[in-house]
Amino acid sequence: MKIFFSLFILISLAFAGDATIEVVKKADSLPSLAVEDASVSYDNTFKLRFFKALVADLNVISLFNVDRHHRFADFDDTNVLVANKDMNYVLRYKLSEDDNKALNIEMTLFHQNEVVFSKRYRVNNKNIYMFISHAIAYDINEFMGEPSVGWMKRKVIFSRIVAPKKSEIIIADYTLSYQHVIISGGLNIFPKWANKAQTAFYYTSLDSFEPTLKYVDIKTAKVKNIISSDGMMVCSDVSEDGKKLLLTMARTGQPDIYLYNTETKKYKRITTYSGIDVNGQFMGDDKIIFISSRLGYPNVFSKRLDNGLVEQLVYYGKANSSCSAQGHYVVYEARESSNAFSANTFNLHLISTETDFIRRLTATGVNEFPRFSKDGDAIIFIKNYKSQSAIGIIRLMHNKNYLFPLKSGKIQSMDW
Amino acid sequence: MKSIVLSSVVAALLVFSGCSTKEPAVDTKTEEVTAPVAQEVQEVMTETVTGENAQISSSTNNIGSNELNANAIESKFPTVYFDFDKYNIRPDMQEKVDTAAELGKTTAKSFNIKLEGNCDEWGSDEYNFALGLRRANSVKKALVADGVDASRISMVSYGESNPVCTEHTRECWAKNRRVNFKLLP
Repeated sequence: MKIFFSLFILISLAFAGDATIEVVKKADSLPSLAVEDASVSYDNTFKLRFFKALVADLNVISLFNVDRHHRFADFDDTNVLVANKDMNYVLRYKLSEDDNKALNIEMTLFHQNEVVFSKRYRVNNKNIYMFISHAIAYDINEFMGEPSVGWMKRKVIFSRIVAPKKSEIIIADYTLSYQHVIISGGLNIFPKWANKAQTAFYYTSLDSFEPTLKYVDIKTAKVKNIISSDGMMVCSDVSEDGKKLLLTMARTGQPDIYLYNTETKKYKRITTYSGIDVNGQFMGDDKIIFISSRLGYPNVFSKRLDNGLVEQLVYYGKANSSCSAQGHYVVYEARESSNAFSANTFNLHLISTETDFIRRLTATGVNEFPRFSKDGDAIIFIKNYKSQSAIGIIRLMHNKNYLFPLKSGKIQSMDW
Repeated sequence: MKSIVLSSVVAALLVFSGCSTKEPAVDTKTEEVTAPVAQEVQEVMTETVTGENAQISSSTNNIGSNELNANAIESKFPTVYFDFDKYNIRPDMQEKVDTAAELGKTTAKSFNIKLEGNCDEWGSDEYNFALGLRRANSVKKALVADGVDASRISMVSYGESNPVCTEHTRECWAKNRRVNFKLLP
């Protein structure tokens, strides 16, 4: 028994920190946090909207049991509200509008009735209040000394179909509550950030004679043609340094993965299988993972770039048609029913190339477009369930999924 | 059709200043968050053909009637349907492909043929596009086998972005798994 127990401990330690093992943090053990609204401007609808956004963001950082009561306080009161006196932390904020119609926010964090942290924010248009909400949550997380949630401040780019052969490309915050249409008219799909700083992006235009990959610099709004191919053209991944792209092209009617060098403008064919090879993702410098139909159904494979060795990565799921890689982790979408006549279930799963575990990340509905954050701390995805759509954030190390309702029509593709 | 890059934005939406410490010090710095500027920018490049270049000296056909002609012939082409998650040509569709090949070699022989592959809503982004493309490619191979010159055929996949039916029913999904024929001059 002793040996068994020590073995158990040893295994637990060996896999601690591996995201494919479920981490169960009891909600009860998290410190409690209440939010007090001390706003002096704006109507109650806007106050409530901001409160909800902030509570959602504070939930997503997964450090607190966040109290959902919208209570009002006086910003200068040195004591927290009586109702919140037993809370471990109290966050108080004041929204105020200045003479330039800008939204000013003062925020104070109390711990045991003492001010431990405070900061001011300002934004010149109140309609982008969600960015301040994200910033407050980010700062609280930093203050608590937790690993960065820098992905909260990153932007999501996605395309949505608005009518047959018509789409829009949109830039949004990570909850998609702020949406800015950047390209409209025609059929423009598969947007992909071109660099880490998110100052440019690639997308596919299907309005030209051949599907064409284009590059947009957001600052100058200049558009460049990169490369065209008959049949199909998708930029599936961009390397860390932004110098290499993994493209899916079909130069002979055959969807295959190509490595494109943005400096030399030369490309090299990586896969040659006679079926479907798509969705290439860089995995380190010398390996890619991709989706292939080489077993008769879509599944996840890896290919070494030096010796061309192909390996099947996933042995579970009836059809695994989409994947995203980060470090040694791969998240993929698996169809768990095979039915042409009724709704299918598509769930997300996480694997690591260093363990044999598979972790199912979602339980119901159609879950699509999984994309890792740049640091691998979170996964963003779209969930469709019972005719409702939501954007989801999976905190891998906290074993929590957060959903934000989405009213944006049919999403075609997304990048984070 | 041209697309317009609406505005340039969002870069540097949040510039973070102000540092935080665990000391109960009050940070008095104000963080500036700039709003996205909705500035109008240049349109995507388009080509303008001058009036004299646009005129083609031909006694038999002018552009207008040629287009009319193309639409009329195009409507004679069948639609080829496919099974769920499949791109092989079903036996019951072979006749339609033969009809299309015959049209391609006779009535439509002065046009190039563009094959548009489409999918139902099941399946995800890239793989669905590839499936649509393989459907178009299956039809292309069949046309070539029936004697249509391969150099006249181009292909595009619209994945699930070009549905003819948007209800969530099996009949509807079946209608969307298809290849359409378009004629190009």
